[in-house]
Parts: sequence; structure tokens; C-alpha cells
Amino acid sequence: MIARLTAADFGQATAAVAPFALALAVGALVLAATGHEPAAVYRLMLDEAFGGERRIAATLTETTPLLLTGLAAAIAFRAGVFNVGAEGCFYLGGIVAAVIGYSLPSWPGVALIPLALVAASVVGSAWLVAPGLLRARLGVDEVVTTLMLNFIAIDLTSWLVDGPLLARGSANSATQQIVAAAELPRLLPPTTLHLGFLISLILALAYGAWSRFCAGGFESRLVGLNPRFSRAVGIDLERVVLRTMVASGAVGGLAGGIHTLGLVHRFVAGFSPGYGFTGVAIALLARNSALGVVIAAVLFGALSSAGANIQLFSNVPIEIVEILQGAVMIFAVARLTFRWPPARSAA
Amino acid sequence: MINLFLHAALLTTTPILLAAIGGFVNRMGGLVNLGLESMMTAGALVAVEVSASTGSAFLATLAAGSAGAAVGLLMSLVITRLRANEIIVGLGFTVAVAGLARFILKSAYGVSGTYDPAGVVMLPRLAIPSLDRVPVLGALSGLDPLTWLAWALVPAVAFALARTRWGLRLRATGAAEATVRSVGLQPLAIRDGSTIFAGALSGLAGAHLSIGIVGLFNEGITGGRGFIALAAFYFGRTSIVRTALGALLFGVFDAAQIRLQGRGVPAEIVQTLPYVIVILVLTGLGFADRRAMRGNVLR
Repeated sequence: MIARLTAADFGQATAAVAPFALALAVGALVLAATGHEPAAVYRLMLDEAFGGERRIAATLTETTPLLLTGLAAAIAFRAGVFNVGAEGCFYLGGIVAAVIGYSLPSWPGVALIPLALVAASVVGSAWLVAPGLLRARLGVDEVVTTLMLNFIAIDLTSWLVDGPLLARGSANSATQQIVAAAELPRLLPPTTLHLGFLISLILALAYGAWSRFCAGGFESRLVGLNPRFSRAVGIDLERVVLRTMVASGAVGGLAGGIHTLGLVHRFVAGFSPGYGFTGVAIALLARNSALGVVIAAVLFGALSSAGANIQLFSNVPIEIVEILQGAVMIFAVARLTFRWPPARSAA
Repeated sequence: MINLFLHAALLTTTPILLAAIGGFVNRMGGLVNLGLESMMTAGALVAVEVSASTGSAFLATLAAGSAGAAVGLLMSLVITRLRANEIIVGLGFTVAVAGLARFILKSAYGVSGTYDPAGVVMLPRLAIPSLDRVPVLGALSGLDPLTWLAWALVPAVAFALARTRWGLRLRATGAAEATVRSVGLQPLAIRDGSTIFAGALSGLAGAHLSIGIVGLFNEGITGGRGFIALAAFYFGRTSIVRTALGALLFGVFDAAQIRLQGRGVPAEIVQTLPYVIVILVLTGLGFADRRAMRGNVLR
């Protein structure tokens, strides 16, 4: 029994690690083809991501938004709702938190921060009500609608920071700085690691507990695994889909809000370098498990924090990170049918 | 004035139309292609490189089509053979190829963002002097061959899908894979073929952007047109004519947005229109489907 369990666990672990390993192999090919030494580059990246307290803090800072967008995607995918709209929610949550963060200068932080974060979540959920309803009531493909809503949100926010919300005297498209009271406290000054990291860890823990111990979590898994069966046993599919969408949007919006209050301290055009899409890769890689999301988010966080540094200290362009991220997304959904021990029969 | 605007609108339509035709055919074969953007990027970069090094716009176009086709084949194999989710793989290709293009710019050419080699030969413009002074039709003078090709493909593809053996097989692969297999054909190979076609056309679309319009490669050169093409073939559903009209509509928006800049209409808002239209179209189709279902007792 124990042996079988560990074999299954091992198989699962291989399934989760394989996409990452394959992506690193693709990256190595690209590096080698362009005259870099893959092993040396990866060693440098590893060192830049985890070598010493300061670097680990930088990695965890990069992990924070990814952990949240990964959770947003996992919540949805678990229920079979292919929501790829976290990117849009991230932008909207970010801009809402920024506006609240600078327009109430007399408020104390204990009131201002929760207000901004709650508002960011509410806007995120509201943004996904329409695709949720469309999917639940009319069966409209949520992948396309949420993808389109991403582009709309990005355009909308960049219009807002170019015109109505543009900070006076600012040359680039950005809002004003939020007031100091609205900034999330730093955990390890002088590093940029902020309270948002703890919030996202707590949320991951809550997600894990909910999905394992709560009726709602069981319901959502059942709907994801077998919608027809779920309907037959009396689960209200429409309600689960809509609830899932709203929850996923709330986490996506919160992610943007935390990114504003914790790190950027204002909203700028091009606010997210694709955190929402990386979140999709993270959730896929993690097979929607809470622990998996945390681990995958740290890996991707390490990638992007190392990417910025290797560009500084070697001549390897930072885009190697994007290549790796895209490759992980691709391999994460491919059925690689690695079996351990390998199946003996020809079939 | 009207000629100038229509001319500009036709030119902005071309890349969207090419990619949309590819995506449409791909979808008829049963694969929703979210990687059109990546194939466009590959085509745009290869076109500039080959055009500058060989001095031939024709070779550059050919190379761009092949590059797009190669990316398409790779993506198709991952989806059909490794049974991966097409949406995620498409997004993954979009992310990875965009990164790869920028990586190559920095690593191989030592430039950041824009690659502008000397000696890029642009696509020729076909002047039709007799039309130049005719209102509306004058817009047809001075278009590049890819624009003509794109529009010629609309009836050609419509005919091929409806009247040829290949068209029937492709449609069958999209609609009833098991049936195709049962008559001894290979649906996955047919589907791969349709993705290669989509990749080739998207590669041409990229070439049109880089050596048809601006004469250089820029990291944001595709500007989401692969996704607007997706919008066009979602809009067209099972009709290539409607797909082409959708592409034209978005091309007109694109041209209008450039003209409306500086006249108080924010470009960002105009840019959202294709995406809003897709959601509205899907909503409308959803309502229509539900009405059709009402008659069905089993529901």
C-alpha cells in the first residue's frame, strides 16, 4: 500500500517536473544556438535567484503577483472553467487600488489598505460576471470572452492613465503616487519584499483548505471532473460556474491591488508583463493544487528575478525568461505519458 | 480623400485577412488557433532578414510563409500528437515566439526592440494608372501583391471547401473525426495540414506588416492582429465571406483609429472595438442557439 502510494506520488511529481525540465532543455537549445553556455547561464540564474537573503527576497517579491494570478487560474480551472482573464482583472485591480491609494490622503493605513484591496477584488469579480453569466446561461466559450476582456481592460486602463487619470507633470503614462499610508509594509527592509507576499501565502493556504475540506471545494472539483454527473446529483451548475468566475476575478483583482500597494505604488501603462498568462501556466503546472501553485509560482518568480539580473551581469538577453515561460505553458498541457515504472505491455 | 482612406483601410485589412483565412481553415479542420500571432511574428522577422540579405521581396515573402508554416506545424504536432489543450498551447507559442524574436534581436543583431537592417526591399506596389482618378475604385491602385492574394483566396478557399475532395475531407475532420478515421483517412494529418496552411498565411501576414508597410521589424509589430484575426473568424463562424467581412471591418477600424488620433477620439477606445464586437457576436450566437434548443424536448 505504502509502496503503491509513493509510486503514484512519484509519478505525479515527475508529471509536474517534466514540463519544466523540457522547457529548460528548449531554453538550452536556444542558448547554445546563439553562442551561450547553457549550463553556465542556468547556474548563474540559480545563483541570482536564490543566492543569499537579498536575492531570495527579490525572488519572493516577484513570486507574489504570480502566486495570486496562479491561484486565480487554479480556482477556475478546478471547476472546469477555463478563465484566462486574470490579466485583465490584474490591470483593473491595480488601477482601482492606485486611485484609492492617492485620493484619500487623510485616511489611516489600517482603513485605506483594506479599502483599496477590497475595491480591487470587487472590480476584478465584477469584470468577470459577464463571461460567467454568458458561460453559465448561454454556453458561450469563456476562453474567448475572457481573453477579449483582457485586451479591453488593458486598452481601457492605458486610456485612463493617458488622459483622465494622468498625473500632472508626468511625462509617461502613469497615475500619481499613492500616499505613504497606503503602501503595504516591507517585510525585510531594505529589500522590496512586502506584506503582499504573506497575504498571498495565506490565500494559498485558504484555497488548499477550502478545496480539501469544504463542501464548496468538493462541489467545484466534481463539476470540473464531470459536469453531467454533477447535474445528475443535483448540483446547480450555473451557480457553481458563476461563483467560480467571481471568485477567480476577485483574486485576480486583488493581485493587481497588491502589486500597486506593495511594489509599484502607482499605476503605469504596461502594468503587468503578462502575470495573468503566467498564472495560467502556473495553475496548469500545479494541476490546481495549492502547494503546487506555491512551488510553481516561486519557480517562475525565480525565473523573472534572475532574468533581470543575468541581463545585467552577462550578455544573455532577459527574453530567455519569456521563452522558458512559453515553453512551460506548452509542455504543461502536453500529455507526455511518462509512466514510472514504464508500462511493459505494447499497449 | 475617400480613395486615400479606402486605400489605407485595404492595407490595414490585409494582415488581418490573411491570418483570419488561415485561422478559418484551421478551425474548419477542428483546431482553434490562438498561435496566429506567433506565426505572424516569425514571418515578419524572417521577411526583413531575407529581404535585406537577398534583395528579393519575393524570396522574403516565400521565406516568411515557410517560417510561419514551420511554427504552425510545430504547434499542430504538440496539439494533435501530444493531445495538448489548443488554447493554452496557442498562448504559450505567442509568449515563447515573442520572447524568441526579441532574444534573437538582442543576441544575434545586438539591437533592442527594432531591427532595421540596410537594404530591405519592400513589396512592390501594383499601380493601375487608369483607376487613379476614379472615386472609390482608385483605392485599388497601388496595392501590394499580398493584398490581391488575400482577397483572391476568399473565393478560392470557399470553392475548395465546398467543391473539392480536400475541402470535404477537411470539413469532415472538423465535424466528425471518427467518420474520417473509419473511411481510412488520417484526421490528425489533415488537421496538421490545415494548421500549416494557417501558419503559412500568418507568415505572409507578418511579411506584409514588415516589408509591405514599414520596412523594418519591431517587437510590437503584430500588435495583437493575430487575436483580431481570431475575432474575425469567430465573427465569420462557418462562412469565409463573413470572416473576410469581419477582417475588413476591423481593418477599417484600424485605419480609422489612425486618422481619428488627435481629433479627440482616444485611440485606445477605438482599439477595444474588435474585442467588444467578438463578445457581442458570441452573445448573440448564444441566444440564437438557446432559442433553437427550446424546441428540443430533451433539453
